[in-house]
Amino acid sequence: MTTASPDWGFPSDLEDVSGEVAIAGVGEADHTKASGRTTKQIAAQAIERALADAGLTPRDVDGIMYSPFDGQQFGADDYRAHFGTSHDMWVSTAGGGMVWAGSAPHEAALAIRTGKAHTIVNVFSVAWATQRADMVGGPGEVHAAELFKQNLEVPFGWFPQPVYFATIARRHMHDYGTTPAQLGAIAVACRRHANLTPAAVLHDKPLTLEQYLASPAICDPFRKEDCCLISDGGGAYVMTSVDRARDLRAPVVEVAGVGVGNSKTRTYWAQQGDFTATPQVFAAPGAFRMAGIVPADVDVLACYDPFTIVSLMQIEDMGFCKKGEGGPFVEGTTLHFDGGRLPYNTHGGMLSHAYVLGIAHVVEVVRQLRGEAAAQVKDAEIGVYGGYTGPQASTLILRRR
Amino acid sequence: MRFRNEFPLPDTDWPPTREFWAAAARGELAVPRCDACPRYIWYPDGTCRFCGSHTSTWTAVSGRGRLFSWSVVRRAFIPQLAADVPYVAGLVAIEEDTAVRIVTCIVDCDPALLRVDMPMRVVFRPLRFAGVRGEVTAPMFVPA
Repeated sequence: MTTASPDWGFPSDLEDVSGEVAIAGVGEADHTKASGRTTKQIAAQAIERALADAGLTPRDVDGIMYSPFDGQQFGADDYRAHFGTSHDMWVSTAGGGMVWAGSAPHEAALAIRTGKAHTIVNVFSVAWATQRADMVGGPGEVHAAELFKQNLEVPFGWFPQPVYFATIARRHMHDYGTTPAQLGAIAVACRRHANLTPAAVLHDKPLTLEQYLASPAICDPFRKEDCCLISDGGGAYVMTSVDRARDLRAPVVEVAGVGVGNSKTRTYWAQQGDFTATPQVFAAPGAFRMAGIVPADVDVLACYDPFTIVSLMQIEDMGFCKKGEGGPFVEGTTLHFDGGRLPYNTHGGMLSHAYVLGIAHVVEVVRQLRGEAAAQVKDAEIGVYGGYTGPQASTLILRRR
Repeated sequence: MRFRNEFPLPDTDWPPTREFWAAAARGELAVPRCDACPRYIWYPDGTCRFCGSHTSTWTAVSGRGRLFSWSVVRRAFIPQLAADVPYVAGLVAIEEDTAVRIVTCIVDCDPALLRVDMPMRVVFRPLRFAGVRGEVTAPMFVPA
């Protein structure tokens, strides 16, 4: 079976929105270990900072996007209550983090094109470090609650996500010769970027490849450092038309391309036809076509990275190297911000920055394209976010105007 | 979020997987086979993802397959597994249809000897969990 075979997945059919909207404001909440904050408090802080970054007042935002996924996300009523307004807002639940952090700008572009809203905020936050003790398997709870998984996977201890992706990593190692040191190179690059980024949860904790290799397996072949953090935090970004963005404070970063790919086996990783691939194989080609660029044009990449192997697979599946060659590709300093061939997760990603499920990745890409990042890639003009949930992947291509 | 008191034991009365657990109690590995095409349907959500048919018949299979992949789990991610670590959780592709990967435990062998694609055969063992009442017979696999 070839990687992009229709046997196991398909692209979503998306209208071309290239160059219609810009991300005009970005904000991150404080990213922390358990903080006692609520999900909504965290979201409010992220939105306040995104509005300040854009130079907008709360009433200037007439659309809000979030994800209904945990019932705790920040919606229009929360927005009005927090900011003391009573204005009408266009609402979409196709926003949030993960895959939606990458696909929300497409939905927003269509809403802005048709006049449903002029300025839209997409927000996502979690308080999982605070809530962890009350969750079954931490962030695995949503999977434990799914009844096929609860009755056919969990009883065998194939749970939660670290076990799924360790199993995928082993098969990738078998099929392509990928090594632990190659996975370690991803963890080390992300940590180095976090060490340079003051807001990163692991800002003060260095990691060498030797330390990575010497650390014990928690679920073989994964070590702790292959796995993302669990943190409290969140982010928000504000979208508006490119024309309107020209009048705002920040340099214009336009949405150049969006793609979405789907896996037919949804969230059942065990049954996915191509076990060692992601739906990026279906998402990325459409996004690059929409933007009129190729992967070699990309200056900085950020991918949703719950585990090192998910980074490796997306780098392959988005076309930055051939399938199976991700291991050798990421060795050494390829992913480093300062001269690497593909600067990657330059804020540290979910492994070392914060587990806020991709929203901070988009914030980071925007900052890179404005020249405002902590680990700044020289002259970055084109940045890409790879979003992922398992059932879906998204590719968001951003370009400095 | 509330879970059954018996979690993580399977709910052997849940209709979509009831036949799987009933077969295991008889010492059989059973998977629904599509009535319209030669494929097996896994997970048993009622729809064949190869031909789209909605009818299938639970069918006993040989219990032979190949080890698709696995992880040696050394940390208990939920307290009910605390007495079981380290254990080997993995996927076995059945010989009747290699697209069917049974999630299972690999037992009675040194994990260091496991190899991708090695032949496996089913055995039936009780699932028991720390602090959880009851047990359920489950299909597990050993090297053939």
